[in-house]
Amino acid sequence: MLLPVRTAVLNHLYKVGRANVEEIMTALEDDYGQEKQFTKKLYIDHVMALEANGLLELENYDLSEKEELQLHYKITEDGKNTVVKYVDKKYRVA
Amino acid sequence: MNSEKDILRTAPGTMADIKMKSLNKSFHLTGLANGFVSGLTYAIYSTLVVVATGYDPLASAAGILAAPFVCSGLNDFLAGIWLLIYNAKQGRLRELGRTLRTKPGIMLVIGFLLGGPIANGAYLVGLGLAGAYAIPISATCSLFGAIFSWIFLKQRPTKRVVGGMVMCVAGAIIINFVKPEGAPNFTLGVIFALVAAIAWGAEGVFSSFGGAMIDTDVAVNLRELISGLVVLIAVLPFISGGIKLLGGTLVAGISVAWLAIAGLSAAISFVCWYKANSTVGTAVGMSLNVTYAFWGVLFSVIFLGQTMTPTIIIGSIVIVFGAILVTMNPLDLFKHGEE
Repeated sequence: MLLPVRTAVLNHLYKVGRANVEEIMTALEDDYGQEKQFTKKLYIDHVMALEANGLLELENYDLSEKEELQLHYKITEDGKNTVVKYVDKKYRVA
Repeated sequence: MNSEKDILRTAPGTMADIKMKSLNKSFHLTGLANGFVSGLTYAIYSTLVVVATGYDPLASAAGILAAPFVCSGLNDFLAGIWLLIYNAKQGRLRELGRTLRTKPGIMLVIGFLLGGPIANGAYLVGLGLAGAYAIPISATCSLFGAIFSWIFLKQRPTKRVVGGMVMCVAGAIIINFVKPEGAPNFTLGVIFALVAAIAWGAEGVFSSFGGAMIDTDVAVNLRELISGLVVLIAVLPFISGGIKLLGGTLVAGISVAWLAIAGLSAAISFVCWYKANSTVGTAVGMSLNVTYAFWGVLFSVIFLGQTMTPTIIIGSIVIVFGAILVTMNPLDLFKHGEE
């Protein structure tokens, strides 16, 4: 059984520490790529909601080669603690 | 995808800054708009539920519990159906099952049982007995949320929060100062509205167990479906005449049509509320949402012929400001505006 997407996004950041939205989507593509909800708009929603709750932090931003805004996030201490506390161990292994 | 070196690093004040600023601005404006819409639609929901109870067999139902619980069960269930349609369009239906299998998902469900069947049921009983007076009273839920966070999460309230709490209580007292004519069960109605506020305040505590990792659109969908089904299947059979009234209401049809629109308003309200919380922060989101107390009273006066008295106007304004003070520092609004 897969994790809910927002939880999977936070869990990915727990494993890698920092990533931008495109990198997160690439990492989760194998599991969630076939679903209609696999859109950049919804993934930006996920990271911004996690940021609003203090679980992620926007580290910096820049433009990609396609002149698209890229948001780089890192996980906060609160985010790490939340994953350790509430995500089953089997999902946390990198 | 782009690796670190593919990314064109940009200096401050460049295109990236402009785009970031515009993204932030649009998120902030969308968040404020969502918060405002959530308050407005919650007031529409509160008004339409009262309209729905104006038709037989709900209008002539015996007892104080059967009609409000038939309404709350049908309303929440129909809201859940609207949200299922919305989430299906977004391709998120599988998320419902996934969420229920996580620890934060289970904690949220426990909260939903408090906020759904208990709080929403009590709110509608309150509306039935005390009319529009129940609306601002229920808005004191932020007061109880702060108290429960203090007790269970060890979050000590600041002086500002305590000030807001005092205002909430003062507003509730003002509203009860003069009892309206022709409402024999007024005080009981206010007590039910308080039960709703307490249960909503406690519901918030359950979302602090990892609830932030759950997509709120999915959480809201589960909340409405679970609440509706629990009321219809597990609560109504224990209320005298409950099932018979449910059958009669379904056959009559007109109340169900109103409840379907009320359910849509409630669904929009919840989705917007959580969206506001996750874009402009819970404090601002909740403060905009709580304006439903004000709109609810206004709509009741305009559309339901509720008498307007100085005590209900002053009381609801005091409660709205008190609730805002509990959740945020009003000065932050101006800071955000400068961004």
